[in-house]
Amino acid sequence: MKDIYILGIESSCDETSCSIVKNGREELSTSTSSQIDIHENFGGVVPEIASREHVKNITLVIEDCLKKANMKIDDVTAISITYGPGLIGSLLVGMQAAKTLSYIYNKPLVPVHHIAGHIYANSLVEELKFPLIALVVSGGHTELIKMKDHFNFEKLGGTLDDAIGECYDKVARVMGLPYPGGPKLDKLSKEGKPTYKLPIPLNDDSYNFSFSGLKSAVINLNHNEEQKGKEINKADLAASFQKVAVTSIVSKTKKALKDYNINNLIVAGGVAANSGLREALIDMCKENNIHLSIPPLKYCTDNAAMIAAAGYYAYKLGRRADYHLNSLSTTSLQ
Amino acid sequence: MKTLYIDTSSDYLYSGIVINDKLVSSIKKKYEKDLSKEALPQVIELFNKANIIPKDLDKIIVVNGPGSFTGIRIGITIAKTIAWALNINITPISGLTAMAISCNTNTYKMPLIDARRGYVYGAIYDKDNNEVIEDSHINLQNLLNKSKDLDNVTVITNNDIDINLKKENYNPDILKIVNYFEKSDGVNPHLVNPIYLKKTEAEEKAGL
Repeated sequence: MKDIYILGIESSCDETSCSIVKNGREELSTSTSSQIDIHENFGGVVPEIASREHVKNITLVIEDCLKKANMKIDDVTAISITYGPGLIGSLLVGMQAAKTLSYIYNKPLVPVHHIAGHIYANSLVEELKFPLIALVVSGGHTELIKMKDHFNFEKLGGTLDDAIGECYDKVARVMGLPYPGGPKLDKLSKEGKPTYKLPIPLNDDSYNFSFSGLKSAVINLNHNEEQKGKEINKADLAASFQKVAVTSIVSKTKKALKDYNINNLIVAGGVAANSGLREALIDMCKENNIHLSIPPLKYCTDNAAMIAAAGYYAYKLGRRADYHLNSLSTTSLQ
Repeated sequence: MKTLYIDTSSDYLYSGIVINDKLVSSIKKKYEKDLSKEALPQVIELFNKANIIPKDLDKIIVVNGPGSFTGIRIGITIAKTIAWALNINITPISGLTAMAISCNTNTYKMPLIDARRGYVYGAIYDKDNNEVIEDSHINLQNLLNKSKDLDNVTVITNNDIDINLKKENYNPDILKIVNYFEKSDGVNPHLVNPIYLKKTEAEEKAGL
């Protein structure tokens, strides 16, 4: 069988990224221009600044990616592009570049949903085994998805308010941790003990999540202790928050696996890098004899390798777009 | 000599292909929202009508601002990607200069783009298209004050700007613009970026 090389482009938030992946499994090269240092000044991603950076970097990352792989675009089979969801001004820079390359080099254009990309980051580690449950945890998403086959997605549940990563960042900000606060909160939690009592969110029979109540509880606790003149033990608060958040996610995930009698769990998205969540999922899967796949840290955050990996399976399924393909800020997983 | 011209700095897509001093295909069309969807297909249509392929191009001229941030990024990204793929240079030009060049008048020229809240992107050029007041993001009244010693000024705009001067609608003369920049060698496409003339709100607030 002829090898298939997909060049993927991702620009949905604050990373301009280009990758080449062979047969959906083997990353040949990735070039990513991250904007974390720039947005750090503002305590969060500023969409207009992100768009400006993407334009500066787009052709540079494509060139760098090809150079690293020692390939030309003529050598790739198809071009895959994140069409959404994400920041619209950011998405459309990658989109114009991908469409233009597809036209000039006469290569098929394969549209990829950003969350499909996060899920398929796992295929860079091992082949996906179906049926599976995908737990997607990031700054914009907290979802449980059932997959019977490639690109067959059934959403079982999701967050009713804040995404888990968003909640981490907001709590971190209240605790005075610099942006991006999620990873710093995770680190700090290891130095403390879960001594503060916090409510377990949405402890019900659904596959849904809710994190705004938990966030408010931490803010109120912080505030009340301050008023009493007591000093908050930040490490303990971080540990308490992490424990409740992780417990909520793991218990709903376990329920989904059990209810549908599924033995494969894959984890996707930036919060898959969270050490507390990783450990709890590893334990839960061991106890229940579930096969667990969590991508290495470099594939958890936004990157084009996952878009190229997903692009391979989409390409094999015959998914194509024409030059009218547009970016979408919101769009459901398909 | 085959040149592609792209201007997406307003709600309009102005684009054309000039071959040996002749405009062989062009488009001037208004897009409210779908520029991101339509820009590349329309440019492809220009290549088809001109009966050439991108690899035949010698030169790309692109408007790099001022105007609609999103619009400019669409045109520039297409231009950068084509030029990078073809290993040719890009000549980035001011949209206000393009407006002045297109206007045949013996007066001073004041191209204006509405920037909202009383502000405009504007400049003043003399009849030979030399800059008198450089491209600015400026309060309209301030710009008018700066121009009050100049007699005979023609305003060029496609926006509904209330102003008591002789006004002309902007209708780009793509051939004339391309010829005006005939001698420009352009720059490496990696280096071509929008000229926003305006910081983002976040940067202004942060005092950066």
